[in-house]
Amino acid sequence: MLKSKRAEMLTAFVLIAPFVLVYAVLFVYPTAKMVQLSFTNAPLIGDGDFVGFDNYIRVFKDRLFSTAVWDTVYFVLLTVIPSTLLGLLIALGVNRLKGFTQSLVLAAFFLPYILPVSVVYRIWSWMFDKQFGIAQYVISAFTGGTHVAVFRTIPLFMPSVAFITVWWLVGFNVLLFIAGLRNISTEIYEAASLDGASRFAQFRRITWPLIWPVTVLVMTIQLILQLKIFDQVYLFANGGRTDATIVLVQYIYKWAFQKNQGGMGATVSLLLFAIIIIFSVLQYQLLRSRGEK
Amino acid sequence: MIKSILKKALVTTALLTVATFSAQAKDTIVWWDFLGGGDGVRMKAMIDEFNKEHADTVEIQATTLDWGTPFYTKVQTSAAIGEGPDMMTYHLSRLPLGVSSGALSEITPEELAAAGIKGTDYAATNWKAAQVGGKQYAVPLDIHSIVLYYNKDLLKAAGLLGDDGKPKGLDGAANWDAALAKLTANGVQGLSTATADGATLWRIFYSLLNQQDGQFMTADNKFLDGANLDKAVKATTEMASWVKNGWLAPQTEYPASIALFTSGKAAFHINGVWEVPTMVDLAKNKKLGFEWGAVQLPTFYDHPATWADSHSFAIPNNKGKEVPAAKRKLVLDTIAWFDKHSLEWAGGGHLPAFSPVREGADFKALKPNSDYSTLAATAAFDPVSVLAGVASPVYDAAGNFLIPAVSGDLAPKDAMDQMRDDLQGQVQ
Amino acid sequence: MSAVSTPTGADLDALVLPQRRQRWLRTFDLAGLIVTLLTVFVAILWAFPLYWGVVTSLKPENEVVQSGLQLWPQHVTLDAYVHALFETKIGLWYINSLVTSLSVTVLVLIMGAGAGYAISQLRFPGRKVLWWMILASFMVPIQALIVNHFILLSQFHLINTWVGVTLPQLIAPVTVIIYKQFFDSVPKDFREAAVIDGANDFQLLFRIYLPMNWGITTALAIITFIAAWNNFLWPFLAVTSEQVMNVSVGITQVFDAFGVKYARDLATAILAGLPVAVLYLIFQRRVTQAIMLSAGIKG
Repeated sequence: MLKSKRAEMLTAFVLIAPFVLVYAVLFVYPTAKMVQLSFTNAPLIGDGDFVGFDNYIRVFKDRLFSTAVWDTVYFVLLTVIPSTLLGLLIALGVNRLKGFTQSLVLAAFFLPYILPVSVVYRIWSWMFDKQFGIAQYVISAFTGGTHVAVFRTIPLFMPSVAFITVWWLVGFNVLLFIAGLRNISTEIYEAASLDGASRFAQFRRITWPLIWPVTVLVMTIQLILQLKIFDQVYLFANGGRTDATIVLVQYIYKWAFQKNQGGMGATVSLLLFAIIIIFSVLQYQLLRSRGEK
Repeated sequence: MIKSILKKALVTTALLTVATFSAQAKDTIVWWDFLGGGDGVRMKAMIDEFNKEHADTVEIQATTLDWGTPFYTKVQTSAAIGEGPDMMTYHLSRLPLGVSSGALSEITPEELAAAGIKGTDYAATNWKAAQVGGKQYAVPLDIHSIVLYYNKDLLKAAGLLGDDGKPKGLDGAANWDAALAKLTANGVQGLSTATADGATLWRIFYSLLNQQDGQFMTADNKFLDGANLDKAVKATTEMASWVKNGWLAPQTEYPASIALFTSGKAAFHINGVWEVPTMVDLAKNKKLGFEWGAVQLPTFYDHPATWADSHSFAIPNNKGKEVPAAKRKLVLDTIAWFDKHSLEWAGGGHLPAFSPVREGADFKALKPNSDYSTLAATAAFDPVSVLAGVASPVYDAAGNFLIPAVSGDLAPKDAMDQMRDDLQGQVQ
Repeated sequence: MSAVSTPTGADLDALVLPQRRQRWLRTFDLAGLIVTLLTVFVAILWAFPLYWGVVTSLKPENEVVQSGLQLWPQHVTLDAYVHALFETKIGLWYINSLVTSLSVTVLVLIMGAGAGYAISQLRFPGRKVLWWMILASFMVPIQALIVNHFILLSQFHLINTWVGVTLPQLIAPVTVIIYKQFFDSVPKDFREAAVIDGANDFQLLFRIYLPMNWGITTALAIITFIAAWNNFLWPFLAVTSEQVMNVSVGITQVFDAFGVKYARDLATAILAGLPVAVLYLIFQRRVTQAIMLSAGIKG
């Protein structure tokens, strides 16, 4: 018995070893180093001197930091809820279709999801191209014929990039929602329609409550994803007024890689960590209070 | 079609395999540049020529990266970890910043002498701009600037073309404005330039500022100090008026601004000399539906002055990587080769830095370079500072403040105030 | 829905139904039809940018910038594709993308299944602490670690290598969580029977637990692979050499075409997206089912 227990332990250690190793070397250790680095004036590569809280003070005094925080939160607001709601709506529509039509329609929604961000960037910068973009026909209808440089007009930048992001990623949400919808037994709907419940009432009383767990899952996934936004914003803003539309990861990149100030980069990274933890805790509390009900 | 593609693919694969195996015998030089547009075409041709000439000894493996901040970020980061290239192109305007970040390797007088590179073969100011603190960090390749491209057909129709085929009566801001007003008609706009590109606007702005003897940055590190601010506001206001009056489209991306001109939808185009080959090639292939020319930027204010910069070659300071002396010699020999062959580079619109080429008869016969070669005498280089140059805080500020000012989102005075404060705050 | 879709509107009148129910059925059908048409219409809108990208890439450059709406090229040409294939290193970038994405996928799954199994089925000291740590790092922002990942990997000279691109992408506590949940729900009887037959834990994992959860493994593999294939930020930072770039970084950071080059840019982009798109279209049903399975995961 004692021997088998030891064997079990040994097996367990062998099985968890790769994960624990990666976790320790690539997560715990860099995080610890990051904290240390944030108190120095080190360049990206090389040593620096201890400077206490100077970096933190400098970050909080920097106008660009508040821009970055706001733009990140703004982007999260513009993507998380729309992509969740749109995902649900599309799923409801797609779920009514059958066979080949359904596959085809589903493919149309899911195909963008598998494209690398650079491809999405190329396609949409062409769609919105100020001179030759086909979307300018639509824009002209609203502006009375004037073409608009969407990614160079600051108030339009975040909404457009958010729109493109929703276009890109919503397919994944659609699939999760369809799965959720299929798990709802058809008998419940049949019973409800025999009772004469309207379609809207059916949705509100049956679909929505039963799909809620999936909604939470989708929103969690989206929240985690969008807080870490960098790629699209970097690509679409490149060459223009990058400061006005900067997001947090980009701000880290700017300090550490463009300005070669590793200490400052680490400081901002740590603050991003904190922001993400705050969001996670809020999310967790929200889920728990729902669960207890 | 498919068959020929397959064939090509097979050949390419075979060549790649051969190249990998034979690479051992040959020296390779890893080369990075940021040369897009017509420049890229020229440089690629020159590299091909170099590789052909040295087929048995050296091969340049060139990569072209995104111009500006992305390029210089990559250079700086990779040099810090010893992953930079063997050599690269570098803007002399950025040299002080590059040296201060430790990304550049000093080139000693002995090394220069061994490769036969002599300071006396370059214009004195140009050669000095390749130094920081008396040490050589780069070898100039060219001097380049912005010029005014024009559509002869449209100008002729508007009565703005002289008998010599050059535009007439453009000097003085009022005359220029009148010309733009006249040319803007029937779906044609007077001017096209990359109004969404901070670097392009910076070049025009800096020219207009220098035409009034305005100083962007004084020797004691003061940005837009005193009367300089008013001159800057004046320049910005003039630029913004082009957009406001509908002569120039705001928020136009770089490639689109060229397309507007080459498709005949803009009469004038302000851009770097590096787009000369684009026009030359289009005209040669009969894809340009009009006669074109290029001249020095008009004189808006007191006297001619045009922004200028210089491309050079530099060696990154690859940390932790010992470069054998023989390799450095090879790199410097390569640099010398390119400077000696820079007549071909001049075909890309530039003024060669290497005096024997610049002063040679072949260059003097080169068109349209000779039409704007006068600008060399009135060149206004970026301030010499660790805050200035391509991919510097000054260029960032140009993107952040000039773009909205020109497109009318920000009043010129406010833009200049904010730009000054932003930059002044970065002085240490 | 199937009950109403068989009879057409005309047949409906002939059906003997109570008046109220008949009217209800009619409006029901109309609403359903509108929703269906709307869904198809939105799907077409959704696919349009892709279509437009493909059409543009098939046009000669001078036709691309012509004014007027040309929904199909006047002259179809593959010039842009020939250029993208032979003037860029896209072939090499594919290989880099493929190698790193596959490595990430395989390693993440192996580590996730192993750790998930150990935490779910075995007793060992530190199990609780480990599980707690994994749960806590569920939201691990690897993007926030770019600075220190870069420093760490450069110390080991792993910048500009496949290993360097792969390593930071291996942090995936979510896979452990998911595997643990799925292994938890495998009935104990299977385990006991196999143990009596003398099977050890590795045999249990590979003969029983993994095969019984093949679906979730497929799902995790697909999702991990797509994420790695599409990863931009880390490969963008960790690679400066054109030879090691992945597709996503290569097509935006390396410049090859000059002058007016909309068609070329789009052709390159389409080539970059094509392989995975084709794979998806071939295995659509399986991909769909696999991802749907992951909807069952408790958040």
